[in-house]
Amino acid sequence: MNSFWLLIAIPLASAAILLLLGRWADRWGHWLGVLSVGVAFGLAVSYFVQLRGLPADDRSAEIDLFPFLHVGSLQVDFGLLFDPLSAVFVLLITGVGFLIHVYAVGYMAHDPKRRTFFAYFNLFVAAMLLLVLGNNYVMLYFGWEGVGLASYLLISFWYTRNSAATAGKKAFLMNRVGDAGLAIAIFIMFATLGTVDYSGVAEGVARLSSGVTLAIGLLLLIGACGKSGQFPLQAWLPDAMEGPTPVSALIHAATMVTAGVYLIARSNPIFNANPTAQAFVVAIGAITLVMGAIIGCAKDDIKRVLAWSTVSQIGYMFLGVGLGGGAYALALIHLLAHGFFKAGLFLGAGSVMHGMRDQVDIRRFGGLWKYMKITWATFGLAWLAIIGLPPLSGYYSKEPIIAAAFDRPGWTGWLYGGAALLGAALTAFYMTRLFVLTFHGPKRWTEEIEHPHESPPIMTVPLILLAFGSVGAGYLLSTSVPDWLTPVFEGAHEGEGAHHLSHAAVTWLSIVVTVLGALLAWALFRRGTALVEQPAGALVRAARRNLYGDAFNETVFEKPGLYLTRALVYFDNKGLDGLVNGLAALVGGGSSRLGRTQTGFVRSYALSMLGGALLVAVAFLVVRLG
Amino acid sequence: MQPGYYIVLAALLFTIGAVGVLIRRNAIVLFMCIELMLNASNLALVTFGRINGTLDGQIMAFFVMVVAAAEVVVGLAIIMSIFRTRRSASVDDANLLRY
Amino acid sequence: MTTAVDVLAQELQIRLPALDYLAMGPMLVLFGGACLGVLVEAFATRRSRPFLQFWLSLIALVAALVTVVRAANNSPQAFTADTAIAVDGPALFLQGTVIVLGMVALLLMGERRIDKGGPFVARASVPVGGEADRRQARESGSTEVFPLTLFALGGMTLFVAANDLLTMFVALEVFSLPLYLLCALARRRRLISQEAALKYFLLGAFASAFFVFGTALLYGFAGTLRLGGIHTAALGSTANPLLLFGGIALIAVALLFKVAAVPFHVWTPDVYQGAPTPVTAFMAACTKAAAIGALLRVLYVALDRVRWDIEPVIGAVAILTMLVGAVLAVTQTDIKRLLAYSSIANAGYLLVGALAFSREGVSSSLFYLAAYGFTVVAAFAVVALVRDEDGEATHLRRWAGLGRRSPVVAGLFTFLLLAFAGIPLTSGFTSKFAVFSAALGTSGQWQVAMVIAGVVTSMVLAFPYLRVVVMMWLSEPVENGPMVANAGTLTWTALWVGAFATLVLGVYPAPVLDLAHKAAEFLQ
Repeated sequence: MNSFWLLIAIPLASAAILLLLGRWADRWGHWLGVLSVGVAFGLAVSYFVQLRGLPADDRSAEIDLFPFLHVGSLQVDFGLLFDPLSAVFVLLITGVGFLIHVYAVGYMAHDPKRRTFFAYFNLFVAAMLLLVLGNNYVMLYFGWEGVGLASYLLISFWYTRNSAATAGKKAFLMNRVGDAGLAIAIFIMFATLGTVDYSGVAEGVARLSSGVTLAIGLLLLIGACGKSGQFPLQAWLPDAMEGPTPVSALIHAATMVTAGVYLIARSNPIFNANPTAQAFVVAIGAITLVMGAIIGCAKDDIKRVLAWSTVSQIGYMFLGVGLGGGAYALALIHLLAHGFFKAGLFLGAGSVMHGMRDQVDIRRFGGLWKYMKITWATFGLAWLAIIGLPPLSGYYSKEPIIAAAFDRPGWTGWLYGGAALLGAALTAFYMTRLFVLTFHGPKRWTEEIEHPHESPPIMTVPLILLAFGSVGAGYLLSTSVPDWLTPVFEGAHEGEGAHHLSHAAVTWLSIVVTVLGALLAWALFRRGTALVEQPAGALVRAARRNLYGDAFNETVFEKPGLYLTRALVYFDNKGLDGLVNGLAALVGGGSSRLGRTQTGFVRSYALSMLGGALLVAVAFLVVRLG
Repeated sequence: MQPGYYIVLAALLFTIGAVGVLIRRNAIVLFMCIELMLNASNLALVTFGRINGTLDGQIMAFFVMVVAAAEVVVGLAIIMSIFRTRRSASVDDANLLRY
Repeated sequence: MTTAVDVLAQELQIRLPALDYLAMGPMLVLFGGACLGVLVEAFATRRSRPFLQFWLSLIALVAALVTVVRAANNSPQAFTADTAIAVDGPALFLQGTVIVLGMVALLLMGERRIDKGGPFVARASVPVGGEADRRQARESGSTEVFPLTLFALGGMTLFVAANDLLTMFVALEVFSLPLYLLCALARRRRLISQEAALKYFLLGAFASAFFVFGTALLYGFAGTLRLGGIHTAALGSTANPLLLFGGIALIAVALLFKVAAVPFHVWTPDVYQGAPTPVTAFMAACTKAAAIGALLRVLYVALDRVRWDIEPVIGAVAILTMLVGAVLAVTQTDIKRLLAYSSIANAGYLLVGALAFSREGVSSSLFYLAAYGFTVVAAFAVVALVRDEDGEATHLRRWAGLGRRSPVVAGLFTFLLLAFAGIPLTSGFTSKFAVFSAALGTSGQWQVAMVIAGVVTSMVLAFPYLRVVVMMWLSEPVENGPMVANAGTLTWTALWVGAFATLVLGVYPAPVLDLAHKAAEFLQ
């Protein structure tokens, strides 16, 4: 099992071959891309089986490939860790990744840059596997930046479209904010604990004061929010849908955006040690899940609705990991189940777009169930799964999180439980709206579309396989994952459950609100909808504008940054020279007029140096005397 | 005479040179101001050598003179080549590079 | 009171200092090679000179590198020439670094295919724009640049080993004067090249004057020019501490000027833009290494006892340097100026490492210098390659869509920019990580403030780098845009060596980090 570095090496080698061979690989490159991920999946399964064969306490394998950074007391190895937590992620990434790779062969068939696409796609898989397989935070940071790079390249893959280029930039910049948080957290860990290994941090966390664990926890949370599109760094994720649909499915729904959840789950010793940090995670999750669901109700672009739904569902996962204790496993079950049905939804959306000449406006669909039956059926199953109707997978994964939120002691239990319940109702509403408007009701197609067609088998087969996952994964996962993950979260203490409501009551309540939300949407949209945006109340207007998240970013961050830059440039150009001229007028008397019109640059530089020298000298005196 | 006065004199000369660099425009004069600063430093070095009773200061002063001579060679070569093209020795005219 | 003559007589009876020729080998080889180059310039025929000078310089550099390695193996820690020169770990590491980076930069200088006749002007004294100037445009470029480069490198190797202020001053001038001349020798755009030389020369001489006066003050304080003597006097002397701190301030000005720290950075953008690109590459990599080396030695050998007074002041300078460099880089439109501001910000990161006042601080700075040097030389090699009819196309607007016309060059440049931005798996990440963790290892409040500023400015800096990447790959190509020049093997070698080193130091930095850590002990 010690060869599990191959998991990373194979997709990476494939990406390198595809990029280096260039046009030579155009004819068969996509198949190499699919093959590499397929082989990685096969290996992952075999490693997983081997890991299962070990006794429960012993289920982890660690390898140090080579010493990476050894400076004084800083010892970072290029080390990998294969334990139950990374195993489930590896299976998700390679398994769902493989299906989406297959799908992409068909989806990208007419794109002249298909080979490049697969190279970036393989690069992403390699980076994502590095992220989950590293045995220390620096390795995680490597993968973290790697998936960020791949995501940036793939969002702006169709860079001739202006919106795609802008979306890529937005994603990169917002992610940098989160990355800075993660980087500082790693620095603090090293400064206080002297190690960045997961095992070392877990052992050392008891020595830290609560202020330090809070700081590390919040900085990690910032990093997680950036990558996972959580409040307040959520704005980039919906824009990222400018990339090709397989990208949206793999990176921006199933795997990369869940890296934030992985980070917090992996850092569970830190969060367990500090309930305040946990409370922040819970609050972020609750805010985001409601916010994403509200915005999702107001969008008319099929991929954007799904994107906001992703934001909202990851909110559930954050809620779960924030609750701690047994809810860690619940969050991960939801993460895995979500990986299946959300990938299925996105690929279904891609299939619809494929048949409708890249139309994305759900007001322009309708009645499609007759024309693309496989897409309709698979999308329908995924829809029932995400709204959480028993016995599909969403029910087994989401409902326990809602129940766990209600178990939180005090008024917060009511608050978060209520928020999670509201989110479930809204999810049912907007997903039903999406489904009904797309596949049922009257046809509202644009003129040029005469006969929409079903996608080729290479695209529908992955859809069918993912649909099986949407149906069955929930039950299977909820019975096996909690035991499987016990060794990883053994330090997590169970909170004394408050049991505001009995578990059965929560179950019935969530089923009832789900059905109500779905029925309401069915009743409202079964006859179609207006083709243009209708005037609406304040809440809907706000939701259409992403609850003003973009406007907020612009006024609070972008504008002051621009002004600061301009002011500094202005000072450098005008301020220094003006000062020189003033001094010249004072000393040189008659030459002052000439001095003001002629800007003497060398001399202004000399003034800057002399002024600097004086400042340094004065500063020394102040420090000495003060 | 107190050696301290020489230090004050050296500091004054150094300041005059530094201010000269800021307010004169002719590249040659500007360069002469820098030479004045170097010579002020020489005076300080020699004075401190006298105060400390060691020879390091005097030796350093000799080295500074030699280096200053080498600097003149390089500096005048650069200033001359610019003068030939621009027909002006004003440093303010050389401002193509900015911002 | 003894007269000066008495003192002199006493001094003369004392033995002449012993010279360890092996330890001084690198400087002797480089200066010898440079003198030989001057003779070749005088006696060899005009047609044979480019070939002779290039290979002579390269051989001299290889020989110097061999002597560095031998000196490191034989006697890693020794004073020589009385205590004027300290051949210790940091000195040897930086000598090796400067020589290797000098070799790579020399490859760029020797390129004679991009511009027919090389990147340098044939006769610098000919006025720009005249008939004679047009005629010399077709002539083979000057070859004095090679001995000048060797002199500069010799000065740098002495500078990093100088153990008293006199030697340090002489070395400073020996490597600065050839650089002033090199700046003025561009074949194209000679007006701005000359202007750059003038500015660099005047400001450099200005800074040297500060250095000498600072030396005088420190000499007055400590009664000696030796760095070790200042260390002893810093606590023991009864002299006025005004002398000490005035002296430190003035010397710091001169060293921070060479390092390009704010507010002594003002020359950097102009000079980097105006100088011939190979010379800019040479300055960005080697001058920075030499200047930081000397600064480290002054801080760690002479001033470590007053570090509590130094930290806030130089720490503020470091923070300011990172901020100004990063913020001003954002609005640059010229690629060479952009790299200049990036170099300023990097000076700030280096100061963060230097101010850790620990062995990790020294080793991380040494590693940073080597890693940054390779990246920056390769980046300027790309700048030298991207050209249109009238020379290098340095305006960023002209780089739009370069990725579609020349994917290899654009790809390499993207990689180098990612390294500047500190993305993992490049040397930029490893080196930034090393200096920041060294600073946090000391965990003083100033170190923490510097690291925060460092992380924030790294984020700011990612933006201008990313803008170039976006320009190259995502923008529509401009009409008659620049082409990648048909370069010879020399430039390509320099580019690939730099990029390869950037990758290796990012993926597998352990050996070099080990070496730097072993070397990071100053001789007191």
